[in-house]
Amino acid sequence: MRLFFRQLSGELRKLFARKRTFLGFGAFLAFEVVVLFLLRLEKVQGSIRRVIENAGYDAAGYLSGPTLGFLIVVWTVFLLEALFLALVAGDVVSKEVEDGSMRMMLCRPVSRGRILLLKGTVSVIYTFALTLFVAVTALAAGFANSGPGGLFVFAPLEGVFAFHDFVPGLLRYLAMVPLLALSLCTITAIAFCLSCFNMKPSTATIITLSVLFADTILKNIPYFESLRGWFITMKMTAWVRIFEYRIPWEAMVEDYMWLTAINATLFIVGWQMFEQRDFKS
Amino acid sequence: MVRLENLTKSFRGRLALGGLSLDIAPGEIFGLLGHNGAGKSTTFGMMLGHIHPDAGEAFIAGHSVQRERAKAISRVGAIFETPAFYDYMSGWENLRFLVSLSGLESDGRLMDAVRLVRLEKRIHDPVRAYSHGMRQRLALAQALLPDPAFILLDEPTEGLDPEGIQEMREMIRHLRDERGLTVMLSSHLLAEVEQLCDRVAILHQGRMVFCGSWKSGEPPWQFDIDDWAKAGPVFAQAGALVGPGNLVTLPPGSDAADVVAALVRSGVRVRGVAVVRKTLEDFYMERVGQ
Repeated sequence: MRLFFRQLSGELRKLFARKRTFLGFGAFLAFEVVVLFLLRLEKVQGSIRRVIENAGYDAAGYLSGPTLGFLIVVWTVFLLEALFLALVAGDVVSKEVEDGSMRMMLCRPVSRGRILLLKGTVSVIYTFALTLFVAVTALAAGFANSGPGGLFVFAPLEGVFAFHDFVPGLLRYLAMVPLLALSLCTITAIAFCLSCFNMKPSTATIITLSVLFADTILKNIPYFESLRGWFITMKMTAWVRIFEYRIPWEAMVEDYMWLTAINATLFIVGWQMFEQRDFKS
Repeated sequence: MVRLENLTKSFRGRLALGGLSLDIAPGEIFGLLGHNGAGKSTTFGMMLGHIHPDAGEAFIAGHSVQRERAKAISRVGAIFETPAFYDYMSGWENLRFLVSLSGLESDGRLMDAVRLVRLEKRIHDPVRAYSHGMRQRLALAQALLPDPAFILLDEPTEGLDPEGIQEMREMIRHLRDERGLTVMLSSHLLAEVEQLCDRVAILHQGRMVFCGSWKSGEPPWQFDIDDWAKAGPVFAQAGALVGPGNLVTLPPGSDAADVVAALVRSGVRVRGVAVVRKTLEDFYMERVGQ
């Protein structure tokens, strides 16, 4: 086990020492500032204020740091984090194969399964680290702009419309982080699985994003309404339910079990593909 | 030390290696020769478990690479033609990561390997700042870190300058002579192989066309004489064979000076005598039929 952690720390160093990793974190920060700027526009603020006031709450108390933080997270995850995770996880095996460093690793008396387990673990850690970074910086940006206050959450597709006081809201916001990361692990798992196939890193990324887009589009077609709950991207929204007044734990556990099963299946498929591959110069 | 049994591999229906069988003794420097696509890298790939053979098996130190890979390659080091490192990390970090996969933890041993390849001054620099020669030396350092008994070198001198080539050659000799390592190498530089290897195998279109010592047998002699008709009986009496191009092969243990004296006694004018040593290149070209 000690050896596994030593090897894992080496893999983590490899990932986090890359310039692209740092640039990625910087890009997220910049993107969050842009989202914050958009949220400060009077037109946007006005529409949020109207929704809050129409529900009978005081807009000044709920147009606060946590609410802005939540909105920044939603936009950042939707527009950037999915792309970035597909990019990083799509690279994690195939880039090393392409560069030739995988052959160097495979010259060592270590099994292919162990190498994949290390890389898979690193990908999951990265997903959690990035999500934590996004959530914390978004909250910090929200606080810097609007200070503390209640949390207002509006997610129509998931049927969440809730107001929370400052402390309970903050606690739910913090509870959201691991749940959101767990949901995003499915993007990582799809890209990671494809990365184990004999394909270029960019292909793995593009296919991952295509799968997600196709899933999202199909989910929203009325014909599939009765099946909506079975779409991957629908299951991935389980994290939003942490903001419901009565948290539907059973439904959330069920969704996360589905996602975990999908992730495990994708890992096994990728692993089997990786085991069967020939690594040539 | 190494035994390959009927290793066979095809890629998309094209034969890459057909029924390769050979043995390499401990302490031997063995050369694998062949044109591009002859099957050299495929052989190395199967010996390291990177490529799954369609048939056959490779054994290293008595363990099958295909069935117990970790045991088989636990004391194997390897260098590839273009060693790929993580450019944004230092040489030291690269080594630490790679040795962690072998389960080694000693920084002292890392430093020994770094010193051996004379990279200690630059080992903490990012690899992207290394020259090709330095990368090759770093590759050699990583290959030496499992404390190998057997080392595989795929084109180890590729892209090196003459000094680097000489340095690498000396290093390979040192590894065999001082550490008793068994070495298997492939190279396009036949002169290089000629100087280093005890035996060679020649691959041609996926098939082995020769395996052994290309230096075996007595080298022929070139006689510059005025009358071959008169010389014939003299050569016959000495037990020598006159071959194509008037190359004369003397029987083992015989002295060319005695033959020259006999020729002179029988009235043949001898203007010159020289032993004809075939280069490995001549030998290689003969074998691959070009």
